[in-house]
Amino acid sequence: MDALGLARLQFAVTTSFHFLFVLLTLGLVTLVAVAQTRATLSDDPVHARMTWFWGRIYVVNYALGIATGIVMEFQFGLNWSGLSHYAGDVFGAPLAIETLVAFFLESTFLGLWIFGRDRLNRWVHLALIWLVALTAYASALWIMVANAFLQHPVGHEERDGVLRLVDFSALLANPLFTSAFWHVVCAALTTGGVFVTGVSAYHLVRRTTEVDFFRRSLRLGVVVTALAAPALVGFGVAQFPVIGRFQPTKVADAGAGAAGLGLMVQIGLLLVLVSWLTVPLLLRDRVLRLRFVLHLMVLGIPLPFVAAIGGWLFRELGRQPWLVYGLLRTEDAVSEVSRDGMLFSFIAFTAVFVVLAVADWVLIARLVRRGPVDEAVPLSPLVPAL
Amino acid sequence: MEGVWVALLGLLTAGYFALAGVDYGVALLFRVVGRDEVERSRVLGAMTPFLLGNEVWLVAAVGVLFGAFPRLEGELLSGHHGVFVVVLVGLVAFTAAVQLRTHPWWDAPLVGGALAVSAGWGVLLGDVLGGPAVLWAFGVPVLFLLHGAVFLSWRLRGPVRERASRAARVLAWPAAGFVVAAVVLSGPVREPWCGVGAVLGVALPLAARVVTRRLAFLCTATVCAVLPVTVFGAQAVVDVEAMAHTPTLRALGWVALVVLPLVGLFQWATWWVARAAR
Repeated sequence: MDALGLARLQFAVTTSFHFLFVLLTLGLVTLVAVAQTRATLSDDPVHARMTWFWGRIYVVNYALGIATGIVMEFQFGLNWSGLSHYAGDVFGAPLAIETLVAFFLESTFLGLWIFGRDRLNRWVHLALIWLVALTAYASALWIMVANAFLQHPVGHEERDGVLRLVDFSALLANPLFTSAFWHVVCAALTTGGVFVTGVSAYHLVRRTTEVDFFRRSLRLGVVVTALAAPALVGFGVAQFPVIGRFQPTKVADAGAGAAGLGLMVQIGLLLVLVSWLTVPLLLRDRVLRLRFVLHLMVLGIPLPFVAAIGGWLFRELGRQPWLVYGLLRTEDAVSEVSRDGMLFSFIAFTAVFVVLAVADWVLIARLVRRGPVDEAVPLSPLVPAL
Repeated sequence: MEGVWVALLGLLTAGYFALAGVDYGVALLFRVVGRDEVERSRVLGAMTPFLLGNEVWLVAAVGVLFGAFPRLEGELLSGHHGVFVVVLVGLVAFTAAVQLRTHPWWDAPLVGGALAVSAGWGVLLGDVLGGPAVLWAFGVPVLFLLHGAVFLSWRLRGPVRERASRAARVLAWPAAGFVVAAVVLSGPVREPWCGVGAVLGVALPLAARVVTRRLAFLCTATVCAVLPVTVFGAQAVVDVEAMAHTPTLRALGWVALVVLPLVGLFQWATWWVARAAR
């Protein structure tokens, strides 16, 4: 494989891993914020316990996800300097806003939320988790603005061989942005819902003593999934006419990505069906006695992740051979880096990301198995503060 | 307009070196200053509340670099491909390990990552500023070590503080030597005040018993912050050609105007909340 192939493979691998972390981060933070809101409003301590149990898992996932995000940010300049040279004026703006608004603010808010637990007024502390959630979604928004520009470049003019920004608002009105952004938001919510449902079902299958805790968590997970999944499918379907108009050859160009599309559609429809069938079973907690259904919920945890990677591959592979659709070819944007240099970075980043993902799953599995505990058990220098 | 963005980029990189320098210094030092597991957790615990807030300065700096200096960003990063890969892998290893350290075997990626990051930044700075790469690869980690030691002797109590203070007094000599050598050997920095200020900054903590510990910390922080700022003093690192055009800068300007005061406020709040934790 030549330097171009390695650079593309590296981008596909690192983005996919990063996306796995992001989905769970976005989904979980929303459910944690909901739980903390109920904890602040009600006197029942179960809501506060839910906040900290799911919050710990969220923080571990965020802590490792931010490491993958840093690599993503550098990767454009490292391997695709042709992109920043030619389109940096337009493409760089949303990315820069993303780092300032999301990364910078979100991390600061989260640090305060973690360490301010017993030191801040409870309403201030509640506001912090919603600010974390808000900035996390703002991050997704600006990334999708940048990505939509690659799919369908708008708001620019070419002068002296480089693109210049003419209309910033056109970036936000990009038809390739709007429905795709809501699609990603709903995908994250679905991922969070399915995850919380599955983990709760796991404890109920194992006949936990914390029945009330996981009964409520399961209800939250099922309701969020049942609300988000139909919207997810809706915003997905809404993209086909837009793609048909602006990227007519996308399905043909996607190659292997077309299979990802098929898989995503099937998983999406399955989740809509299953979540709506489960909602009536929540009445009088009938679902808790249906052990077969609980087993299926545990098995369902990976499904949203698989679907999301499939959909992402379709969107990105279908853009080929263009990096900026119709303007800049992928092969013309790759940095002048030797094949060995590219191989080195591909191996280094892939190895690190695999280790991170495994560490993430192991730690989350350990937290999940331990269940809700009230005393702070040393888990890491960062997490025991929770 | 252009000057504002150069200043902002300078501020963000300076903030990153001054703040994250603490993280890397503490990481390189904590196994020496802490004799057993309890002490080592305490030493790391002095730094972890600030970790996320410190590291994001780099992220913001690269964001501004991409948005406002797109043609510099591509050239700078792809031109130093190998070194940046080492820095990033070190950064990822360090960030993950420091947050998940439940067992001493996390210390290998923690210390190794911090070393790779600090030595890597050293090599990159040396590349731009001139002077032997070896000097920079050793010098920047030593400077961060001193910075971390001064931070610990400010934030901790008891025998770990004594050990950190002793480490700071020892480290001040090679750190001062590095700064002098860097000023003498590196070519293109034309502003002599950078060198004078830096030497003074390292020399002052030497008198750590005389001045307050907080002042000593401010001194080493200043030296760390001056490092990347000297890059802007070097010729032709940033020019208008590399910058984005006015419409892009204007759009980014509004965002920066809103976000940066907020960041300042909340970063201050992080230190304020941690004040009770000492």
